[in-house]
Amino acid sequence: MTSCSLSPNYLNSGVLNGRYNNEQVALSGNGNWLALISDRSGSSQLVLYDLLEKRFVDLAFVNTDSAVAESPSLSLTGRYLVYISSLQGKPDIFLYDRLTQRQEILTQNYQGWARRPKISSDGRYIVFETSRRGHWNIEVLDRGPNVELDIPNGSPVQAPTP
Amino acid sequence: MMKRKNLLVLYTSLITLVTGCGGYPSIISLPYDYRGTSINSAAIESFPQIAPPFIVFVSDRNGMQSVYLYNSQNKRLVDLPGLNFIDAIASSPTITEDGRYIAFVANRNGRSSIYFYDRQTKQRRNLTENVEAEVRNPSISSNGKQLAYEIARNGHWEIEIINPL
Repeated sequence: MTSCSLSPNYLNSGVLNGRYNNEQVALSGNGNWLALISDRSGSSQLVLYDLLEKRFVDLAFVNTDSAVAESPSLSLTGRYLVYISSLQGKPDIFLYDRLTQRQEILTQNYQGWARRPKISSDGRYIVFETSRRGHWNIEVLDRGPNVELDIPNGSPVQAPTP
Repeated sequence: MMKRKNLLVLYTSLITLVTGCGGYPSIISLPYDYRGTSINSAAIESFPQIAPPFIVFVSDRNGMQSVYLYNSQNKRLVDLPGLNFIDAIASSPTITEDGRYIAFVANRNGRSSIYFYDRQTKQRRNLTENVEAEVRNPSISSNGKQLAYEIARNGHWEIEIINPL
């Protein structure tokens, strides 16, 4: 039941797969993290899986009793996690910063529904599907030039233009 | 002089309206063209993924759900010769950070496969040729050396990771 059916080319999935449903998988840019919706705890939950340590990481802030988080996406190192939650009655894009452990709603005043958000590797931009024109189109959210980018250590950083 | 001042006030208030107090997060307006020459059209655009300046997505603007690539720098669609099929429904494209590789799902006659396209060689390869099970939702790492996807096995969705390079 574990990883015996996987060929050498495949990554040892450890405890990742089992008797559970794992869906909506998203890889971090560096390939070290997976975000996914898993029912391993009995109900559908957004979880992170550390591919290096081969273990799940709980996201207590993200999963609540009153809303189901879905459609996750990760930045380069998995610092930023975006996902959809209907905590406020309509599907909103949430951003969770795993470093500061702060969560914010990016579509607080947004007119229209959003779905399938994907964050850029550096964490600045989020592209998503919007219902604003009455059918699904594409829009981009810019978190601005002052956000801490999720880039490799030692990368040259350009000063934000004034 | 007075007129110019009024114009300036109008202009500033317009900006405020659009960006919401000039703060962030703010929406970047993407072009719309109903004929389908740009990123947004009168058809359905879905499954977007961003690796600036590129946005890869799926649209059914030409009658068949296909993969498109948009360059937000020159605001143009990028040709993807040899990527799309004439008889398969494409979905879930995922792109590497340099914009060179695109993986996506193609569905033909109820059978799904994950394809891997190289923009440099314009070659397309089936990554799951020998897989009988349904596959979906590929997600590629920035350097293209890891690709995660879902596979229907043992009665549920499992996750597999391969190196497509």
